[in-house]
Amino acid sequence: MRFAFLDEDAKKEIRRATLKAIAIPGYQVSFASRELPIARGWGTGGLQVTLSIITQKDSLKVIDQGCDGSVNAVNIRNFITSVTNVETTNEVDKASIIQSRHRIPEKQMQEGQVLVLQVPEPEVLTNVEANASKQKIMHANSDYAKLWVLLYEDTSQFGDSRIGNRYPVMVNDRYVMDPSPIPKYDTLNLDNSKALVLLGAGREKKIYAVPPYTKVEPLKFDDREFKVEDFSGQKCQRCGASGVYMDEVHVDNGKTLYYCNDTSYCDEFLESRNA
Amino acid sequence: MGYVAVKGGEEAIKNSLSFYDEEFKGDIKPKDIRESLSFAVDKIMSEGSLYSKKLSSVAIKKSAGDLLNAAFFLRAHRSSCARVGMAKTINTDDMRIIRRVSSAFKDIQGGQILGPSNDYEVKLILKKVANKTIWSEFISDDIFVESALKPLRNKGLIKELKKDREIADITRIFPNSPYPRSAVLQIMSRGEGGSMLAFAYTTMRGYGDVHPTIGDLRIGKCDVKFTHPFTSKEVKIAEIESTSCEAVGTLEKQEDGSTKLTTGYGFCFGFNETKAISMAILDISLYSSSHSIGSGSIASDFDMILHHIDGVESMGFTNHYKLPHYVTFQSNLQVLMNAKEHNGGEK
Repeated sequence: MRFAFLDEDAKKEIRRATLKAIAIPGYQVSFASRELPIARGWGTGGLQVTLSIITQKDSLKVIDQGCDGSVNAVNIRNFITSVTNVETTNEVDKASIIQSRHRIPEKQMQEGQVLVLQVPEPEVLTNVEANASKQKIMHANSDYAKLWVLLYEDTSQFGDSRIGNRYPVMVNDRYVMDPSPIPKYDTLNLDNSKALVLLGAGREKKIYAVPPYTKVEPLKFDDREFKVEDFSGQKCQRCGASGVYMDEVHVDNGKTLYYCNDTSYCDEFLESRNA
Repeated sequence: MGYVAVKGGEEAIKNSLSFYDEEFKGDIKPKDIRESLSFAVDKIMSEGSLYSKKLSSVAIKKSAGDLLNAAFFLRAHRSSCARVGMAKTINTDDMRIIRRVSSAFKDIQGGQILGPSNDYEVKLILKKVANKTIWSEFISDDIFVESALKPLRNKGLIKELKKDREIADITRIFPNSPYPRSAVLQIMSRGEGGSMLAFAYTTMRGYGDVHPTIGDLRIGKCDVKFTHPFTSKEVKIAEIESTSCEAVGTLEKQEDGSTKLTTGYGFCFGFNETKAISMAILDISLYSSSHSIGSGSIASDFDMILHHIDGVESMGFTNHYKLPHYVTFQSNLQVLMNAKEHNGGEK
């Protein structure tokens, strides 16, 4: 099979779209998304970005919901290695490309690293304007009034936006962008990121990017605090870490336990504690 | 242009049917269909609204794989069956599961059980190498687990809809608006999978306000219990394979002022996860207030959903346009001619 599955023209097209995306932070660049032997909606956007940029020298980490061992991560990792033979790793520091769904690793990524996020719904305006041509005009005019109205309506009724994950962010003071369904906790880590963040949406055929050291701000009113998920007072039952994004686990006796969501962070924390 | 008179239909139909048999039907046995095309068989049982794998496979054979037609065969047969009565309500928490997943939680009571599934198969049509490791041992114990949403429900975080006092039977009375909930669920449970999927899909793409999370998706076997007409005792009369899905929507203010999570429910005969998920999403969309300030929602309109998801109806009506329509078309042409005359005899 061809290296990285896709034919060279497809890779070239995806790389061109990616370069354009990096040049216009937060702007969604269309591309002719290819069918992959993995179902649409299962990470085919991120997968196409990864397959188009990966080389034999790369070291790859794939995570899904914070976990290297989760079924979809395993599946995607196996597919990529079966068509590239690249080395894989669970460690953030050792990876040159990290493909992720719904999380940004706890451990800060560095210059030269690439984070590829899988995106189900790239268009941040969909919930307030379903018509694609109108969305395009709104982006062109930087007209995000309807999003502000939504935010206002939610705030007046519920005290805060009802959006939990995929919270809209303003990128480089120009485009409002869907950051993929990462929790609010992660949203803040997009700001001024040292690593390049590439976002790929396969079904919706869009690629966009947050280049290193770009300003990324969640959309919020000046007099309102941006509240991220709160796990204060909780410690990971396995490694003892606190101050990270946690998984709630309801156990059989009705109790709720907390664990690090980022499993490789949990492993490293445990190792450093035992060392 | 003159019409050719449509006559001699009877002989033409006979010939057409024997030509169809010769052209489209091979010698596959219904048994082979049943064993090898199980999802097609399940889809037809569900849409045909009749739990019989045997008849479902016969229907697929008879319709040469045209599944809309196959469901039609089964529905038609159903009309010849007597209604015996109403079985006891099935609680899908009591399902003997072979697969149960929840995407809302990482770990759940009873665990994530992938069971038999090809979700994570790499779809390479020409892949020649089969899996190297073959696991042939599966547990044969019965597994029962409560819905993964139970803990949230116990905490009172989930909105509960009122139960119908009397359960509708849409095969006897097709309800008018406002539609009883039991009727809504019945209509969806035998709806056509593709139509339901399309409507559910609109809610995820801006024509609506549903952002579902799969709380509990399960396939397995449920007991069907019935009150014995003579002994009046409850007896198990059957076991049906089925799929159920509970999806979680978003938060919603309740009449009593509390704020709760909305959920939707999907259930169908046989193993059909896509359909059960679609149904659960439509259920959320129909019964939860919409906060969207964007375009109108299509799938939150009861009339829109309940009248457009039945495959037997929509397929039938769409195909009826193949019937001769020359009387009505003639009248349309007349209207056109009159209009032209009205406009000063335009040519």
